[in-house]
Amino acid sequence: MSLSRSKAGGKPSLVSSFINRLLRFGALPIVLLFCIVIFELANPHFLSRTNLINVLQQSVFLMLISFGQMLVLISGGFDLSVGAVVALTSILSSTAMVMVSGWQPDQPFLAILAGFATALLTGLCAGLVNALGVSVLRVNAFIVTLATTSIFQGLTLVISQGMEVTDLPIQFVYGIGSDFVLGIPVSALFAVPALLIVYVLLHRMRFGRYVYAIGSNTKSALVAGVPINRYLMFCYAICSVITAFSGLLLTARVSSGEPLLGSEFPLDSIAAAVIGGCSLRGGEGGAIGVLLGVIFITVLANGMDLMQIGSNFQMIVLGIVLVGAVVLDRFRAGQNRK
Amino acid sequence: MLKPLEPSGVPFVALSGASKFYGSFAALKGADLALMPGQVHMLLGENGAGKSTLVSLLIGANRLDEGNRYLHGQPCPDLSPDMARAAGLNAVLQDFSLAPSLTVAENFALGREQTRFGLLSKAKMVKSALDTMQKLGITLDPDARVDTLTRAEQQLLEIARALGGKPGALILDEPTAMLSHNESERLFDAVVRLRAAGWAILYISHRMEEIRQLGDVVTILRDGRLTGHYRLADVSNDRMIAEMVGRPMESFYPKIPHRPAEDALEVVALASGSKLRDGNLTLRFGEIVGLGGLVGCGKAELARAVFGLEPITNGVVLLDGNVIKVSSPAAMLARGLIYLPQDRRGEALALNRSIGDNIVIEALAKREYARAGWLRGGRLQQLVRNLIDKLKISPADPFKPVQELSGGNQQKVVLARALSLPRRIYIFDEPTAGVDVATRLDFYLQLQDLCSGGAAILLITSDLQELIHLSHRIIVMHDGRCIATLDGPDMTEERVVSHAFSGRHEGALQ
Repeated sequence: MSLSRSKAGGKPSLVSSFINRLLRFGALPIVLLFCIVIFELANPHFLSRTNLINVLQQSVFLMLISFGQMLVLISGGFDLSVGAVVALTSILSSTAMVMVSGWQPDQPFLAILAGFATALLTGLCAGLVNALGVSVLRVNAFIVTLATTSIFQGLTLVISQGMEVTDLPIQFVYGIGSDFVLGIPVSALFAVPALLIVYVLLHRMRFGRYVYAIGSNTKSALVAGVPINRYLMFCYAICSVITAFSGLLLTARVSSGEPLLGSEFPLDSIAAAVIGGCSLRGGEGGAIGVLLGVIFITVLANGMDLMQIGSNFQMIVLGIVLVGAVVLDRFRAGQNRK
Repeated sequence: MLKPLEPSGVPFVALSGASKFYGSFAALKGADLALMPGQVHMLLGENGAGKSTLVSLLIGANRLDEGNRYLHGQPCPDLSPDMARAAGLNAVLQDFSLAPSLTVAENFALGREQTRFGLLSKAKMVKSALDTMQKLGITLDPDARVDTLTRAEQQLLEIARALGGKPGALILDEPTAMLSHNESERLFDAVVRLRAAGWAILYISHRMEEIRQLGDVVTILRDGRLTGHYRLADVSNDRMIAEMVGRPMESFYPKIPHRPAEDALEVVALASGSKLRDGNLTLRFGEIVGLGGLVGCGKAELARAVFGLEPITNGVVLLDGNVIKVSSPAAMLARGLIYLPQDRRGEALALNRSIGDNIVIEALAKREYARAGWLRGGRLQQLVRNLIDKLKISPADPFKPVQELSGGNQQKVVLARALSLPRRIYIFDEPTAGVDVATRLDFYLQLQDLCSGGAAILLITSDLQELIHLSHRIIVMHDGRCIATLDGPDMTEERVVSHAFSGRHEGALQ
């Protein structure tokens, strides 16, 4: 007895702490590996260079949005408005670019700059509206972002009249949307700094500790003097800004501003984050897990594409996977309570 | 190994050689226990000694890894909690099992709903709930939703629910941790009546007075093993504590030197919400002021209002002689005042975060530990290590989520957060509720340290012994008002109780 107690009180060994770290992501790495093997067996092109680049290109947009979604989930909330923010950004920044290039046709970079500025501003405003509802007005995040989804969608349709915005600068569409540097898609290179910023904020800075504390137990965070409203503000603002950034890159990819862009993102980003270890009750999850979660979802879609499984059927599979992940989350919580 | 003390009669429920392992860890090893009808059996042990494991084996919530379980003398290896209840084995455990959105009567009848022609008979359920509550001397509105009740009222409802089950045996796990003095007294009356009616009762408690007052026999557990089994008439308190802790204890409450300096905190005519009407107190550096009174007298609300957790509707709070205009937890912490709430799971801990994360959350606001927002990992780690060592937090693994710790160790994590930064004023709200004896003693020594270091300490506690022995001055509250200040020889249990009850039960006490 005294032996086992001293063992429990001692430092955990390196091996067991490594295994514990792996287990934090649950069965995900194993399932991912399993999927890759299946898809490769079904279609030998799956692991080809071209297809891997393709997967990377496909995953960039969801990766950015899921990182934003992760912050909000860890703080104990939800952001259902990410899809609407993508569409709104797409329309607003395209309109801005078309206007600027009409005014200064010889300065395409000025137009692209205007596009970026509009996207960031759109994200910031959308995020602050969400944050206001959640932190100051203290309305449930689910309701707030459901409502703002409707608002942003309405706004998008009013501004665009339901029409696509075409004639974007060539440099934007080709340079950012489909060019490569050193064999890597440009949009992926754009995404890396944004992802790094979120990673560092969450895991290397005070910001992350506060967000975890708020999501885990808001009352105890209050008692410990954490400025809760300010950090909730940050979370929602960062989520919407990074989503808007993703929306801009996606606009370049599809080469026009589209009012119906991105409707799959609310579900996909929450699914990726939860599969990657975020808890719907807040206070749990991390960047590496979400990274794996996004890769999993993208690989699943890509693999099914290669196996010529239709997109309608894919929606069914994604739904099932999400339910599985939520059940897994409950199971994990149950284990912890024990 | 142990001779049965009551050789006659068949135990209602018994364990022999019972063991429970979690991996290689023996939560309980070779324990014998027999609950005899008409006997109050006290179970004593520190947190983590295996009391909860033993109870879970008794009621069939856990499987036995070794040994046997007997119900009415018959071996009963496959018992489930439902079967136990049906057999008359009723348990009130520490984790509340009430459904928060149902009413008092609905919760009372949960699992044994009474029906009429296949439909629920609300009238019958309300009546039986009222009858049982009356036996306990409690008055709860049967139609009130459980989440509108206080923790104490929920505890009383749990007890009433257990009493409403099939008669036979009752297991109470620290039932008075949440209860006020008079509520506890009524519970004791009920226990005595049940014993006379032939119930077998297992009673877990940390409080010596209760053990003395109620118990017939006592079983002591330490580190998952039975260390002693006595008739209470044959054993001294010192002996019991020594067996429980594994070492003798000279004096339970340390002498804390009283060297009052200038005023630290002054509260004048403070009012907040419906529970605090007129709070007045003065707290100086270098002293411990105890705040006593019944549950619901407003003593917690006074501290919460000072700390900015409840809105102040009237009155003034002064720190160092300066009036505080707007108080919020962050502002008070910045001024060196910390409040540790009594509901540690609900308000003091981020349960799914690690020990380390919980300890340093406040230190992160300081440049010493986070420069321009960047964590200084080495210093934070050092801070956590030091506090884990100093407070003997177990397991000493900074990455362990606090929800996996025992209650006593969770309280130590809360205390570690308080000690993570130097402060001048500490307000402790029921710091030792549900905490084992050894942890209490450690906490008292920390209090001694802080106080002799010149800190001002306000100690809110429902434990009369603690209040009297640790405080330099006692302020008693009644019905939202500070009604008496006691010091020196006036600090006796009788004086505190008579003030605490004044107005309502004055006559009854004489």
